[in-house]
Amino acid sequence: MKATVESVKEVIAEAEVLGDVSDLKNDLALRDQGIDSLDVVNVYLLLEERFDIKIPDEDLSQVRTVNDIIEYINKKVN
Amino acid sequence: MLGIKEIASYLPENKISNYDKKEKFEMDDDFIENKIGVRCQAIKEIDEKASDLCVKAFEILLKKQNIDKKEIDCCIVVTQNPDYNIPHTSAIVHGKLELSQQCACFDISLGCSGYVYGLSAIISFMKNNCLEHGLLFTADPYSDIIDSEDKNTALLFGDGATVTYIGKDGIFIPKDFSFGTNGKDYRELFCEEKLYMNGRAVFNFTATTIPKHIQQLLEKNGLEDKDIDKYVLHQGSKYIVDTIRKRLKVSEDKVPFDMHEYGNTVSSSIPIILEKEMLKEENKRFLISGFGVGLSWGSAIIEKV
Repeated sequence: MKATVESVKEVIAEAEVLGDVSDLKNDLALRDQGIDSLDVVNVYLLLEERFDIKIPDEDLSQVRTVNDIIEYINKKVN
Repeated sequence: MLGIKEIASYLPENKISNYDKKEKFEMDDDFIENKIGVRCQAIKEIDEKASDLCVKAFEILLKKQNIDKKEIDCCIVVTQNPDYNIPHTSAIVHGKLELSQQCACFDISLGCSGYVYGLSAIISFMKNNCLEHGLLFTADPYSDIIDSEDKNTALLFGDGATVTYIGKDGIFIPKDFSFGTNGKDYRELFCEEKLYMNGRAVFNFTATTIPKHIQQLLEKNGLEDKDIDKYVLHQGSKYIVDTIRKRLKVSEDKVPFDMHEYGNTVSSSIPIILEKEMLKEENKRFLISGFGVGLSWGSAIIEKV
C-alpha cells in the first residue's frame, strides 16, 4: 500500500495525539507540532502496522515530518 | 480451596515530585499527568532493603487479618533487587518475621510479570505439598538502580512492597493463567549497574503483545469483555495502560489507574490495586496482567468465591 498525505494523517488521527490533524504541516517535524516523544512512538507503531513495514531506531531521523514519512514508506514498500 | 484471603501493601511515606523535574527534563504538566501518570515517586530510606519493605507490608497485613505466624508454612518473595546475591531474600524475611522452621521459602526472580507468576507458583506449590498458610511477597526497590539523569527511567519508578495471604477458604480464586516470554529482546529492559530501558521497544512490545494475549485468555475461557468487572493491568505508565485499554476497546472505568502518587512499583503494582478493588462488592471477576522485564508477561482470571 502506497502512503499518501491522507493515509499518513489518518494514522496520526487514529493515534489520538492531536485535536485536529488537518492543521498539521507536512514539512514540519511532528515533534515541533505538539506531538511529544511518547505520542510519536505510538504514531510510528501504527504506521508500521498499517503499512506492514519496520522503522528501525536508526531510521528515526528519516521520518520526522509527514513528507519524510511518505517518502520513507513508499521507498520501503517499493 | 486455596486462594487469596487478604492483601496488604506498604508504600514509603518519603516522596519525590516529578513537578520538581519539569525544567531538567523539559516536560509540561500534561506529560506528567497524562503520559507518565506519576506525580510523585515513593522512595524508601537509603539503607532499607527489599526484606525491610516486606516486613513493613506484613505488619500492615497483621492489622487487617488475624494470622498466627507459627502456622505460616510457605513464604515466597518476588524480587529482582534482593538484599544480597546470597542468600535468597525470602530466608531473610523468614528470619525477621521469626517464622517456623517448617516453613518453605524461596524467591522468584521476575519483574513486572512477577505477581501473576508468583500467584500461580505459590498456589501450585502449596497444593502439591499440602501446605495451608502461604505468604507471597513482592518488593522491588528500583530506587537503588535508577540513574537520576536518565529521563526514560527517572520519572517512572517508585518503591513499595505487598504481601498476599494465601490459604484455604480464599475469597478470590485464580481460574486460569497464561504466560509468555520473548527472551530475544531481554536487553531492552536491562540492568548491570543502573537500569536501562529502550522506551520505544518496551512500548511496542506491550502495545502489540499484551492486548492479543489478554484476548486469547478471555477466548480460552469462553469469556467476553462484559464478563470482566475490572482489568488490573501492571502500571507501567499511564500511556501504556491507556494504550492497552484502547486496543482492547475496554471502557476507562473498568481499568483502574492508581500510580499517580507513588509510581511504577514493578511486581507490586497489581496487588496494590487488587487490594483496593477486592473490597468493592461489584467486583466478582478480575483479569490481571503483568508485563515487562524479560521480556515476560503473564495474565490470570481471578474470581470471587
